[in-house]
Amino acid sequence: MKNIIVTGASRGVGFNITETLVKEYYHVIAINRNVSDALKDLQIKFPDSLTIIPYDLADTENIHSKIFKEEITYDKSIHGLINNAAMAYDDIITNINFKRLEGMYKVNVFSPMILTKYAIRHMLLHKVAGSIIHISSISAHTGYKGLSMYASTKGALESFSKNTAREWGEVGIRSNCIVPGFMETEMSSGLNSQQKDRIYKRTSLKKPTFIESVSKTVSFLLSDDAFSITGQNIHVDSGTI
Amino acid sequence: MEKKLLEIFNTVLTNRSKEAIKGLTPNMHLRNDIGFDSLDLAELTVRIEAEFDIDIFEDGIINTVNEVFDKLER
Ligand SMILES: NC(=O)c1ccc[n+]([C@@H]2O[C@H](COP(=O)([O-])OP(=O)(O)OC[C@H]3O[C@@H](n4cnc5c(N)ncnc54)[C@H](OP(=O)(O)O)[C@@H]3O)[C@@H](O)[C@H]2O)c1
Repeated sequence: MKNIIVTGASRGVGFNITETLVKEYYHVIAINRNVSDALKDLQIKFPDSLTIIPYDLADTENIHSKIFKEEITYDKSIHGLINNAAMAYDDIITNINFKRLEGMYKVNVFSPMILTKYAIRHMLLHKVAGSIIHISSISAHTGYKGLSMYASTKGALESFSKNTAREWGEVGIRSNCIVPGFMETEMSSGLNSQQKDRIYKRTSLKKPTFIESVSKTVSFLLSDDAFSITGQNIHVDSGTI
Repeated sequence: MEKKLLEIFNTVLTNRSKEAIKGLTPNMHLRNDIGFDSLDLAELTVRIEAEFDIDIFEDGIINTVNEVFDKLER
């Protein structure tokens, strides 16, 4: 069974990715703070396909010891890393609070980078040509009022991914970003229907992005069918203009 | 330790289709004498870490076999 790390698997997109992957016979290592009922139920249904590591990704420093050394260990190979966990600190720029900004960067940027570091190391140790996937956001490309700080974390991830692809392509390791449009999850629950309608109007399909479409793209990018795809940003965004 | 290290060095070299070496001497330079490039050195670090639980590159670049010995003996 191939081992795939999925961060933020407790709900929303990460949960759907996890559910999709365990059904496709992957073993998922789920990393999130809370173990949701949905994740617990999934583990009961697929006990051999799901390992849950409760961890707060705001704690970037201990990722190596707590996640890799204690939980995953050197014996287990890693075939894929899905950096999906993120938080959105939204406000206009003149209100930036540095502590909150720093907190968001730890979860959205620094921890994904450190996870990538150790995932690549595991891939080298086990000679695995693995696939790394970051979940970005359309906000990094289109711009929305109040999302500059959040969008900048996704821009950082996209650049990191492109350079990861260059640096590690020689040993077969691939790195790509998926760029979702607006999806109906807890992260976006603060928007009212008027605001949502305005966002949908900016898409070709005039619809939210379906989470399932993101999950299926993850599963494609993990598979050998995507063998020649690396360093790309794949937009799954209902055709946002 | 030296025997195990030589084994690790040669695993990395042969994994990357480079010629194995017969022995390690302290003044050997990892890049110039042994022929490791940065990706080989990354694999070397990981294999040494998995064996000895020490990340030889944690505090910066090291250049010679002697420096590797030093890190592991500390
Ligand atoms: N929703 C959208 O419209 C939208 C659009 C474009 C891109 N995205 C991106 O899609 C991805 C998934 O978002 P979503 O909509 O599914 O969000 P969500 O419903 O808020 O879920 C976020 C997930 O991340 C985890 N997480 C958050 N902070 C964490 C921390 N400190 N440590 C560990 N895990 C943490 C949460 O788990 P715990 O709370 O259990 O820790 C949860 O599982 C994110 O990268 C997001 O930026 C979302």
